[in-house]
Amino acid sequence: MFRVAFQIFRFRGLLATLTSRELKARYRGSVLGFLWSLANPLLLLAVYTFVFSVVFKPRAEGAEPYALFVVSGLFAWIWVSTSALEGSMSLIANSGLIRKAVFPAELLPMVTVLSNLVHLLFAMPIVAVAIVTGRVLGEKVGGIGALAVPAIILLHLPMVAGLALGASALTVHFKDVRDLLANLLTFLFFLTPILYPLASIAHLRPVWWLVRLNPFTPFILAYQEALFVGRFPEPTLWLQMALVSLVSWALGAGIFERLRETLVEAA
Amino acid sequence: MSEPPSATSAVPEAAAPPAGDAIRVEGLSKLYRRTLPGDRLRTLKSALLRGSLTRGLSREESIAALEGIDFTVARGEAFGVIGGNGSGKSTLLKLVAGMLKPSAGRIVVDGRVAALIELGAGFHPEISGRENVYINGAVLGLTRRQIDRRYEEIVEFSGLADFMEEPVKNYSSGMYVRLGFAVAVHTDPDVLLVDEVLAVGDEAFSHRCVRRIEEFLASGRTLLLVSHSLDLVEGLCDRLLWIDNGRQRLVGEPRRVIDAYRQEVAEQEGEAHHAAKLQREEGGERSEELRWGSRQAEIAAVRLLAGGAERYHLETGEEAVFEIRARAAEPLTDFVFGVAVSTPRGFECWGTNTDLAGFVPGRFEGEATVRLTCPALRLAPGEYVADVAVHSRDGAPYDYMRRALTFTVTAATGGIGVYFPEHRWEFTGGIRWDDGQPPP
Repeated sequence: MFRVAFQIFRFRGLLATLTSRELKARYRGSVLGFLWSLANPLLLLAVYTFVFSVVFKPRAEGAEPYALFVVSGLFAWIWVSTSALEGSMSLIANSGLIRKAVFPAELLPMVTVLSNLVHLLFAMPIVAVAIVTGRVLGEKVGGIGALAVPAIILLHLPMVAGLALGASALTVHFKDVRDLLANLLTFLFFLTPILYPLASIAHLRPVWWLVRLNPFTPFILAYQEALFVGRFPEPTLWLQMALVSLVSWALGAGIFERLRETLVEAA
Repeated sequence: MSEPPSATSAVPEAAAPPAGDAIRVEGLSKLYRRTLPGDRLRTLKSALLRGSLTRGLSREESIAALEGIDFTVARGEAFGVIGGNGSGKSTLLKLVAGMLKPSAGRIVVDGRVAALIELGAGFHPEISGRENVYINGAVLGLTRRQIDRRYEEIVEFSGLADFMEEPVKNYSSGMYVRLGFAVAVHTDPDVLLVDEVLAVGDEAFSHRCVRRIEEFLASGRTLLLVSHSLDLVEGLCDRLLWIDNGRQRLVGEPRRVIDAYRQEVAEQEGEAHHAAKLQREEGGERSEELRWGSRQAEIAAVRLLAGGAERYHLETGEEAVFEIRARAAEPLTDFVFGVAVSTPRGFECWGTNTDLAGFVPGRFEGEATVRLTCPALRLAPGEYVADVAVHSRDGAPYDYMRRALTFTVTAATGGIGVYFPEHRWEFTGGIRWDDGQPPP
């Protein structure tokens, strides 16, 4: 795990170049280019607002207005799941690079994580504007706690990176990992309090525990606390995030390190 | 004259002092796991538990790509690796580059390595040549600033100044190689590994590459070159390694290794040719590509005779007879018999026919045997093929057999080219040779 970290640090210039290339390549030949990165969150926000404030109004204690509650956790989740899914295919998709050239393979899943992080960073100002608008309109949302978001993202990064690294190396040997992961993520999405506030399932004790122990939950709670409620997350939440991040990174980078020598042969 | 190759002739040359070694390979073996159906889970398990795909596998479950390879390459040396397809050359290069891990043995490489393993490897097809130079350079360990400094030089060397903003997917294969090679040599590696790719560039670029490699070597850097082009390795390398089926056959002076290699290939081809011929005689026609014509006259058999027996191998200067047995079902009044000898690569060495020799055709009917005798066939050592044909005087083929014969010529002393005249060296004055028999 230290070697992975060292390699990433050593080739940080290359990582930056590859990430910006990845982003450019995604919008190459499109007229709006980077604006599409803004269009997607805007559209999601508009749809959620329309559906949940006009079509039907869910009664969720502590999650009003609902659309703002959802988006404050949703974009972070999108970052995690896209990074994990795209990351799991990153080595296979670039097998030419690692089979036929001397190339630091750990950069490939990292490129996926970072380019998707850029999309999250694009979405953040939109969420912020929406919350400020909500506040101006008299809703009790947002606050100074939003300043904690960069720190949360920074702490979230090793977790997502560990996930992508481990998944990428495992997928090389075992293609089922990707499908396994896709289904697992769908399942976990509902086990994470994104569409509902954690408090709303307090009466279902076993389910509450399941959700609370889900490693993705502390991060989502922290995003919601900082963005939606506008408070700094509790110290225990920070501790939980740090722990999950450390374990995820150690596990993912460890698996990658373990499989490194065999990647060239099997990719 | 080269030594006959044998499985035990894998004796490395006297090793340079360890301090000067750029590459040292000891007892190197590489196994690959056989892909067995439904074995994915076990593959993953062994990769996870052992960090290796092949440790603890039985012989049936693995394939030895390389076995028992030992050699050292001194700093400043150009070392070539030759061998047939699938002999393990590229695996060896990837091992030295550190991309693969040896299954057994040790590789020590002193200094920074740059590797050109495959055409366009490491290039992103969608992005411009310029960006690719930066990415490639960064992979080879250069910082952005270092690449900035060398960028102009790289572009000039590649000769692709007009194409740098173009995505590399639009490049030709030659352009790929030029850019890849330009980046690799300008990153100042201590050891440069090159696999085959140079053959793709055009003549002018090849010359530039060779010049650059010579400069590179002169500055004390080391080259490991894998190639099928024996001419290229002979011209460039100080020593060669011949691997055959993953086993080390011979290490040594290029001429000697190439001779041994060529001889074995010729012998194998001779055997294969002989076997194919037997099969043909047992029934079945030659493939259409190698034989054509109206068949108004037909070649029934072609043999190369020397010393009264059929041969696939001649000593230069031996009497050689090209024998053609032919038949014409209908009487012919216009016919020419011809023989042409060329190298397998298609360089024509010598050819003649009955027309050029001044024979005016009269009548040919039924069976006939035509013999062309060369009292002393003075071809240089190497491999040759002979085309045999019977055709009309204006060239319309009745029966044209391409590569009707394959044979190898050897000589007691060395020589290059295709012609090997009788010759001798004479010396007078203040010159003395420690060894050397006068040529026979």
